[in-house]
Parts: sequence; structure tokens; C-alpha cells
Amino acid sequence: MLRQRLFRWQHRYAPYLFTAPFVITFLVFALYPMAKSLVLAFYVTVGPKSSVFVGLENFRFLLSDPSFYVAVKNTAVFALFSVFLQLPLSLGLATLLNAKFLRLRNAWRFGFFSPYLLGQVFVAVLFSVIFAPRLGLLNQVLSSMALVPSNKDWLGEAERVMPALVMTALWMYVGFNMIYFLAALQAVDKDLYDAAAVDGADAIRRFRHVTLPSIKPVAVFVVVLSTIGSFQLFELPYLMLQNTSGPEQAGLTVVMYLYQKGFEAGDLGYASVVGWTLALGVLVLSLVQMLLAGTWRKEK
Amino acid sequence: MAEADRPGEDEAQPARCPCASALRALADRLGDWFPFGKAPAIILVLTALAAAWLAAHPVEKTQADLRFWTFADTHYFAYLKALPSFEAKHPGKRVDIQFVHWTAVTSRLRAAFWTDLDVPDMVEVEISQAGSFFRGPAEEVGFVDLRPRLEAEGLLDRMVKTRFAPYTYHDRRTGEDHLYGLPHDVHPVMLAYRRDLFEAEGVDVASLETWDDFVRLGRRLTIPDKRYMLDFADTGGGGFEVALYQRDGGLFDAAGECTMDSPVALETLLWYVPLVAGPDRIADDPGWGQSWVKAIEDGYLLTWTCPDWRSKSAEQQIPRMAGKMALMPLPAVRPGGRRTSSWGGTMLGITRKSRHPDLAWALAKHFYLNPDELAERFRETNILPALKDAWKHAAINEPRPYWSGQPIGTLYARLAEDVPAQYTSPYIDFAKSKMSEIVAACSSYYDKHGADGFEAFARERLKAGADEVRNVMRRNPF
Repeated sequence: MLRQRLFRWQHRYAPYLFTAPFVITFLVFALYPMAKSLVLAFYVTVGPKSSVFVGLENFRFLLSDPSFYVAVKNTAVFALFSVFLQLPLSLGLATLLNAKFLRLRNAWRFGFFSPYLLGQVFVAVLFSVIFAPRLGLLNQVLSSMALVPSNKDWLGEAERVMPALVMTALWMYVGFNMIYFLAALQAVDKDLYDAAAVDGADAIRRFRHVTLPSIKPVAVFVVVLSTIGSFQLFELPYLMLQNTSGPEQAGLTVVMYLYQKGFEAGDLGYASVVGWTLALGVLVLSLVQMLLAGTWRKEK
Repeated sequence: MAEADRPGEDEAQPARCPCASALRALADRLGDWFPFGKAPAIILVLTALAAAWLAAHPVEKTQADLRFWTFADTHYFAYLKALPSFEAKHPGKRVDIQFVHWTAVTSRLRAAFWTDLDVPDMVEVEISQAGSFFRGPAEEVGFVDLRPRLEAEGLLDRMVKTRFAPYTYHDRRTGEDHLYGLPHDVHPVMLAYRRDLFEAEGVDVASLETWDDFVRLGRRLTIPDKRYMLDFADTGGGGFEVALYQRDGGLFDAAGECTMDSPVALETLLWYVPLVAGPDRIADDPGWGQSWVKAIEDGYLLTWTCPDWRSKSAEQQIPRMAGKMALMPLPAVRPGGRRTSSWGGTMLGITRKSRHPDLAWALAKHFYLNPDELAERFRETNILPALKDAWKHAAINEPRPYWSGQPIGTLYARLAEDVPAQYTSPYIDFAKSKMSEIVAACSSYYDKHGADGFEAFARERLKAGADEVRNVMRRNPF
């Protein structure tokens, strides 16, 4: 009798119990902060204790804030490099590592993927040393070939900061994105290649008319993911530039700016406005990318 | 074949542990009572047990009467040595000194102040970060105003006056000045130089009275990409601020107003940039750590700006240079002018939430105002204390073999009274980063265009940077 009652109770409440950890965590650590940040956007604060309602002042200030525009520009440039340099390289690598003639394929795959396993903090420290003036590996190599003077300060000169960040991210993420493309390439129906070959298609045509359409859903996913990831860039510049925005703010990203305003200056209201602007911007950008890629187009 | 008929099966099975059998039986029973299977039931039980264990073993609260954070390892070890004599004077009282990374001191303490979380009783804060704690209404600043105690005990006159400036907050609503920090140091700046290399070049440092003399010599001795005269950086930072303070400039004035575009700042910028940029530059920034060590050992740098704390860094990190280094006062801007500046600093603050503010004050005095302790600590840190009485101590006047036998304490003490004030603001962080951007932009301009149009460019950049800081300051409704 007792056992039957217990089973009935469990059947009724078990779904709630099992979903409770996620729901509670989501409510406390996601939904509440989001709602709170929306409210904070209308206040000027010094930490959460002292706040004054200012209406739309934070939004007005954002529109006239030159540092915010610099941060958006830097982040957009980084995102463009991610999409138009990093992803084609990842696809190229994946295609190469998918080739039948290649030996030790698994070792190569692991080799290219392994930088991602190190984590952004370690990679940032590593590349800070590589880019160091005089003793840095890059300067040692380039100056030995008389290409640059040995005291070239890669992270201390405005025009070199972004290339340094792009190179670092390239090293870290090319292998990671390659894995997605590799999985997609392995799923392409081999019969399609055979049929194309019978029809006389050469390798380039096979890639264009068979491979690319077949991996398109994954490619769209990777492009959207990479764009979102690029707009969240924080750890690499924060550590490589030692908690500064770099010379002439060349390394300032939107999330770094949000962090500086919210957690260093205590202006949580303004940081909320920056955060919501970023979230809406990324949402719009992702929707546009998916629209352009025909994600919602009906198959004929 | 029936299972029971399989030959030798019983012998092949390992003997079962009674505990494992009991656990398996328990898990089976649990599975009977739990409709979603054995595994979720076990996970649930383990979660409940773990939660119960954690609830039964909360993190022990420290039993100390005072908790003290410091961010400098040299301070930490020195305080550990000085602590027993304090505890002997205050029987039954326990002090917990914790070494916390300086960025953590700032970010964790700031967050704790904002959210009313647990904070230590006493904290040492780095000079460039101190102002950022003074944002918002004065009554909500997390530190105790020390001015009444300092005035009551006549301490304001016994310490270097200018060193209170970075820890003073001018409340614009009431017009009152609040003093939240006891200065740990003075940090006068001298120039450290490779005595052996200067002697080989026939340089007499006594003749380097002004920066003009120094720059002239620098142009002669600098070999591009191989040897530089000085360690100033083209991105601003320490070097530029040293030059700015020496001229009585600064990022803010005593009333907390932004002075980044003052005539002194422009004059400093116009003087500084040609030293770090363009074809006739005489300075290069070697960075920190190993790179700095190698630059000095290799003779890549002939001189470097050396506040007292950095002289200890050199002794510890570049031991091979022992006996080859020496110190000289900074060259003056104009003949007869100031021969020093200021770089770095630390304040000690007592938090409002401290349950024992009087005991904390007693410890502050023990660490900061006891001449014997301070003199002993000078041997370990080379840091000249802000308390003037301590400068007469024998330890301060000892000759140092590393510095070619110079009594470096005496040399720093001679300059200490002349150290310029560094006024602060809650926006000091932002202003510093803006000034670094301006110096970097001007250096870049000078590299490309030289002196052509440089003054107008520098003036315009200073004005734009200062306006940006003022715009942010205007948003402060407190």
C-alpha cells in the first residue's frame, strides 16, 4: 500500500524534481540577472548599493561614447577575420585531413586540435611571451632574418595589436573548427562523388557542387557560432594586454569594455546597457547570417 | 545446456566481498522503491549524502581578532617577522596576515564593499588603485576616515605630507577632505646606472644636472637597437608619470578636477615623446621580469628610473650586477629644480566593518610608525618609510655593496621631502589609461611625421582625452 502511494507520488513529482536543478539555476543565475540588468540599465550605480534613476541617460551616453565605438569596431574586425580567415583555413585543413592518401591522420587531427585544449589563459600567456620585444620568439626569428628590429613591440604598437590577437586566435581555434568540418565531410554521401565523377566533374567542381552543399548546415552553424564567440572575445586581449585596452585602445573589445565599466568602475547600469546592446547586436547578426544562408528556405 | 549443468562455473567466479554484496542488495532494494531505475536512485542518494556532509562541515571561520591583506610579498614576510612583538604587547589577540594578489585585492575588495560581504579588518592597497575605492557617497566608502586619529596623535607632521594626497578624497558635495589611508612609503625616484659602463665612457654623473645635459649625453651614447640611455616607454605609464609629477603636474588636482590637458601636461608630453619616438630617440622600454634583467645585464640600458622599491628588485633579480650599479638623483627640469619624482606607493586602510578598529589602529602604528621595525624592514625591502623619524636610524644609512658602496637609504631620504604630490580621483584608472593612449598616439605620430604639426596634435589629443574623462565624471550623481 505504502509502496504504491510512494510510486504514485514519484510519478507525479519526479519530472519537477529532475528539472528543478536546471530550472532553479536558470532562474537564479540567468533569468534574474537578465531582468535585473534590464532594470539597472536605467540607473547610474556605484556597485549595487548606491544607485540613482537616470531614465534613458545611459543609452544616450552610449550613443556618444567614443570608447564604445572603438570597442565595437575592434570586435567587428576580429569577427571578420574569424569568419573570413579562420573558417576557410579550418575547412581547408579538414579537407586535407579527410584525404585518403594522408598518413597518420589521427595524429595530425589531434595535433591541430590540441591548442584548443590548452585554454585561453594559457594561450594568452604563451603568446605574450612569443610577442615580447627583444627576447620574444617572433622577434628573435624575424630579426635574425633582418625583417624587423629585435625590439619591435607587437603588443605595444596600435597597428600590430589586432594582427597579434588574430594570429593567437587562429592558432587556437583553427583546429577546433576543423573538427566540425571534418565531421560534416565524413558524413557526405560517397555515392554523390562517384556520380559526379561519372559525369566528368573534376576535383574543384566536386568540391563546389557536392561538398559545399552537403556541409552547408554545419558551415552555417560554425559561422554563427564563430561570430557569437568573436563578439564575446575577452580573455585573450585582457591577458595579453595586461588588463589594459592596449595602445590607442587597439585591443579593447565590447566585453572588455563591459567588464571595465561594470566591475572596475562599478557602473553596473552602463555596463548593462553595453551588455544588452551586444546581445541584441549579436542576435540580429546571427539572424541575418542564417537568413542569407537560406536556413529557413523551404526545400523544393 | 542448462545453466546449472555448466561444469566448473562456481569455481570460476571470484569470491564476493560481503560489503559489495550488501551494497548491491541495498541498491536493488532502492531500485524497487524508485521507479526510474537503480542508477538515478544512486545518484540521488549520493547527492543527498554529499549535501548533508557539506552542511555538517561548514568552512571554519577564522578565529583571528584581526585579518590583514597585503599584496606585496616583501611586505608580507616583513610583517610576519614583526607580528610576534605586537602579539606579545597584546596578549590573547591573534592576527591573521594574508598575502593576496594585488588585482584580487582590488577586485575582490571592491566587490565585497559593494555587496556588504565579509571584508578583512585592514588592507594594503596599491596607490594607483586607491582612488577607485572612493567612488560614491563618502558615507559608503568602505574605509574608515583616519584623519581624526592622525590629528589627535600629531602624526600628520611626522610623516611626509605629500604622501597623504593619493589617499585623500575630496567630497565635492560637502567640500570635506577624507583621509582613508596611512602611507606606507615615500618612493622617491632616482636614476640607476651602469657605473662600470659610464666609467668606461668617461661619464661624470655629477655633470648631469639637468635633463638637457642628460639627453645630450644620451644622444651620444645611444646606438639604435643595441643600446639605449633610458627606460622610458612610448606607451606612457611609469616613465611619463615620473616626468609629469616631477614638473608638479598630474592627472587630477587637489580638488579632484581633471588636469590632463593642463599646460604642464602638454609641456611634459612635448618633451617626453621625442625621447621615446622618432629617429633621435634615446629611450626604450625593456618590459618587466626576465626581459628587464637581460636588458641591464647586456648593457642594452645604461640607466633606468629607480624608485626605492625597484632598487630591491634589482638586488634580487640581477645579482650579477652587484658592485656595477650606482644611483644618481633625477636630472632637474631646470637648473636648481627638483631632482626627484614619485612612482608607486601603498596605503593601509582600516575597513568600516572591522569589529576591532582600535586594535587595527594599534597594529597599523606597529607596522608603519615604529622606527626600529621600519629601519629593520628597510634592510629587507629598501623601502623608505613615510615616517621621517625612522630616517635617522643606522640601518637607513648603511653603505650597500650592490650599489657600489652607496648608502642608498640616505640618498633616497635626502630627496624624500621633495617628492611631489599625486592627487587622486575615483576616476584615476580611467584617466591613466587615457593618458597612456595619448602618449602612444603621440609617439606614433612623431614616428611618422616628426616635429611637423606635433604640438597641435599633442594639444588636441590631450584635450580630447581630458574631455572624455570629464564626460564620465559628469555622470556621477553622488
